[in-house]
Amino acid sequence: MSDVKQDALPITVRGVTKTYGKVFALDDVSLDVRSGEFLTLLGPSGSGKTTLLMVLAGFTRPDRGSLKFGETEMIRKPPHLRDLGMVFQNYALFPHMTVAGNVGYPLKLRGVSKTEMASRVERALETVQLGGYGDRGIEQLSGGQKQRVALARSIVFEPRILLMDEPLSALDKKLRDRMQIELRHLHEKLGMTTVYVTHDQREALTMSDRIAVVNHGRIMQLATPQELYEQPANKFVADFIGDSTFLEVTRQGDTYVAAGVPLRTNRKIPDTRDLLLMLRPERVSLLEGDPGEANVFDATVSELVYQGESFLLYARLQDGTELSVRGAMRAGTFQTLPSLGDPVKLTLDPADTVLIEGGEG
Amino acid sequence: MKKTLSLTVAAGLMATTALAEDRSLTIASWGGSYQEAQSKALFEPAAANTGINVMQETYGGIADVRLQVNTGQVTLDIVVSGSGSAARAAAEGLLEPLDYDVIDVSDFIPGLYTEHCVGGDVFSTVYAWNTDTYGEDGPQSWADFWDVEKFPGTRSYRGAVAGALEPALMADGVPMEEVYDVLSSEEGIERALDKIRELRPHISVFWSSGAQHAQLMRDGEVDMSTGWNGRFDNARADGGAVMHSFNQALLDYDCFAVPKGAPNKELAMEFLNEISKPEYQDDLPKYITYGPTNALAYETGTITPEVAAILPSSPENAALQLPIDLDWYGEWETIAAEMYQDMLTE
Amino acid sequence: MAVTSIDTGMAERSNARGLRSDERLERWRLFGLSSPALLIVLVILLIPTGWLFFVSFIGADGSYSLENYERMITRRSYARIFQTTFQVSLLTTGLCILIGYPLAYFMSQLPTRWANLCLITVLLPFWTSLLVRTYAWLVLLQRQGLVNEWGMTLGLWQEPLRLVHNMNGTLIGMVHIMLPFLILPVYGGMRAIDRDYLKAAANLGASPARAFWTVFFPLSTPGLFAGALMVFILCLGFFVTPAILGGGRVILVSMQIVSNIELFVNWGAASALGVVLLVLTMMVLWIASRFVRLEQMTGGGAR
Repeated sequence: MSDVKQDALPITVRGVTKTYGKVFALDDVSLDVRSGEFLTLLGPSGSGKTTLLMVLAGFTRPDRGSLKFGETEMIRKPPHLRDLGMVFQNYALFPHMTVAGNVGYPLKLRGVSKTEMASRVERALETVQLGGYGDRGIEQLSGGQKQRVALARSIVFEPRILLMDEPLSALDKKLRDRMQIELRHLHEKLGMTTVYVTHDQREALTMSDRIAVVNHGRIMQLATPQELYEQPANKFVADFIGDSTFLEVTRQGDTYVAAGVPLRTNRKIPDTRDLLLMLRPERVSLLEGDPGEANVFDATVSELVYQGESFLLYARLQDGTELSVRGAMRAGTFQTLPSLGDPVKLTLDPADTVLIEGGEG
Repeated sequence: MKKTLSLTVAAGLMATTALAEDRSLTIASWGGSYQEAQSKALFEPAAANTGINVMQETYGGIADVRLQVNTGQVTLDIVVSGSGSAARAAAEGLLEPLDYDVIDVSDFIPGLYTEHCVGGDVFSTVYAWNTDTYGEDGPQSWADFWDVEKFPGTRSYRGAVAGALEPALMADGVPMEEVYDVLSSEEGIERALDKIRELRPHISVFWSSGAQHAQLMRDGEVDMSTGWNGRFDNARADGGAVMHSFNQALLDYDCFAVPKGAPNKELAMEFLNEISKPEYQDDLPKYITYGPTNALAYETGTITPEVAAILPSSPENAALQLPIDLDWYGEWETIAAEMYQDMLTE
Repeated sequence: MAVTSIDTGMAERSNARGLRSDERLERWRLFGLSSPALLIVLVILLIPTGWLFFVSFIGADGSYSLENYERMITRRSYARIFQTTFQVSLLTTGLCILIGYPLAYFMSQLPTRWANLCLITVLLPFWTSLLVRTYAWLVLLQRQGLVNEWGMTLGLWQEPLRLVHNMNGTLIGMVHIMLPFLILPVYGGMRAIDRDYLKAAANLGASPARAFWTVFFPLSTPGLFAGALMVFILCLGFFVTPAILGGGRVILVSMQIVSNIELFVNWGAASALGVVLLVLTMMVLWIASRFVRLEQMTGGGAR
């Protein structure tokens, strides 16, 4: 737990498949986690993200595939020889041991001397801001404290890889927000390769260097948070991350048409026949004055919602599709907005005109 | 469960007997096939002949008598008891002394009656052996029972003191008639216990019930055992390779007693005299393999020589045996039992 | 205004009094609900035990006496009988742990459906009478019983083994009868142990054996202790099996109680034995309570 960064290890996953009966929990998954990277596996429940984590930890035996930590093949190594830290969703702190007993447990197994163990345990506890808590019983701790102890236990033996399985899901929102930042800082400080599992997109966007969106046992997209949000690879990712409305895009010669409007875009257009236009509410705006280069859609206001810091306006296009528009709210803004049933013109900047592959990818 | 069985005598007889309604008795026994045998051989015919109206009940033993006597609510006139229990009950003052001017025991096998209890049937504590192991000519004495060189094999012995010390002394060379003299001191009891200690390595089971020693012999679990003659007869009848001998056996008996303050004391004496007569007692072996206590019962011709040979109280068999000394049991049993227990737990 | 506020104040105060008395009343009502149970406890537990104590001080002549206790000190057999009783109980408990713990562990690792099937098999002996099971052992274990016959036919041993009518037989029979009493709480305790604890231990570097001894075993001890204590205490007062399978050579307190009733024809001598056994049992429980919280026993699981 020194301030010196340890040598982190890259993780290489190749062709890992795990079936339960006829259901693919993991379907030919390949993934490279870079050395020292904070990578999040993001997906809905049952997507296979936890299974993938359990394969990394050695608790789930895949049907086939390869798993390397650095240059070493690990796929058949039992969990206790993988030397990686892991934080469990329910923390899994041993109830019959004290805080120090829990944190010292991996050191004891590694034959660390008593005096060294005591100082390393204390340092690990200080790292998670629980210095002096060593003598407490596990039952005496709050949820957040348990979380920190579990974290201390998983890093005290300085593993080069750290796995976390939805570690914040049991905490309340405020604590969760603070722990997100803390975990991020800790990662920066310790620099170990970290694989983090969550179903919470905001958590993933906040903490990760890169995010792998997982669904149906496959990785739908692996990208930085920004790429993922700005240029989703498919409809699932676009839908799962942020709010989106989709319009079907048809191709007429060299022009792409959505809801009868020829599109202007300066984004890359995927090379496929089945295209969708992704509309995020905060990127669509109400036309005021000259549309310039923007794409313009005619619509009718169907709903108007006051949300404090912003407003949300629902408008129906001629073909019946409902779009939403989010706008920042200032004093008096709400009064200037159109009323229900008013015709409005919606604009979309060519820079925000994102065309994605249709279907489920 | 109380089974009240009223034996009314023939109406004609009733009419001629003036005191008929006053002449009734209540007798308690242990029920089952045992009481049935008593009822058929002794109670029913004797009732018919004396005109006494006999009510039969089943009871749980001397404890019931104690309860009745202590509460002053005595309803039983005659009870059946083991000789030892009767002796202890007498010592406690729970029984009336019997009137031997009324009850004629002059032809009884000696030792089968006491001041408070008159014998009704006889059984023996014998040694039995497995004929597969030793053949028909098994051990001939208690000394042989102890002789593990001549008769190698496992033994079974009683787990309680009653009938356990006498054989040991006989095996130790004490003549039959001196056994109780020797036992009448703690040294004598210790001598018997030492003899049992000697055999102990070969005793694989200390039995606690008749059913148990019968099963042990029938299944060949032990090669020799002490036990009650009737049980070994049953084991043999059941196909077991079991023989027993009456030589040096202990002659014991069940007896009839009258609880202290019984409502019909005089009548009870009269009835006891009646059922002690040989003409009733000779019928008992028809129903159960227990011997009569009246020696004359063997001379009425009802008991055939073949039957007599297996009855403990037949003159030939009785002559070979040591009658249980109830006075000794009354005085020494609790002390001897404690000492026996000490020996068992060593 | 002032008048109304005084009124409200008074109303609040009288309400507070009323609420307090409601609370008291409610507690009494709850107590009232349990009164039949308390009455039963009084009638079937306290009174007979009190009577047992009283009778144990009544001598053979019916007056107050310590003779029933003196006898236990002067006669060597009583100390030996208590010693045998504790020895048999300890050995039975030990054997039950040796056999029952691995069995419970095995069951706890099975999928629930299979585990339930196993549980039924464990409980099956409860469906037959104790006496029948004990006699069955007699038939199996005796000199010409099945075990010896097969063993000798297969050439495993030449002379019949002495399997019954001694300590061996007593222990075999008692372990068989007592095993479910150990397995049930141990199994319950094991089922309650979160699998993630073992995963965590493995993840932190513990080999399966190390994880078992450092994590699983300590967490299963409350159940184990509950089962062991239950078996031990049941053994202390056990009668049928040792009486039949001990061959009169393994004499326990319960058997001595029976023979004392037959021998001394008064309840005092037997009651005194019962009292001493009761006191010793209480002492065992008291000592046990110093090592483990007894209330955990009823809870079973480790959390």
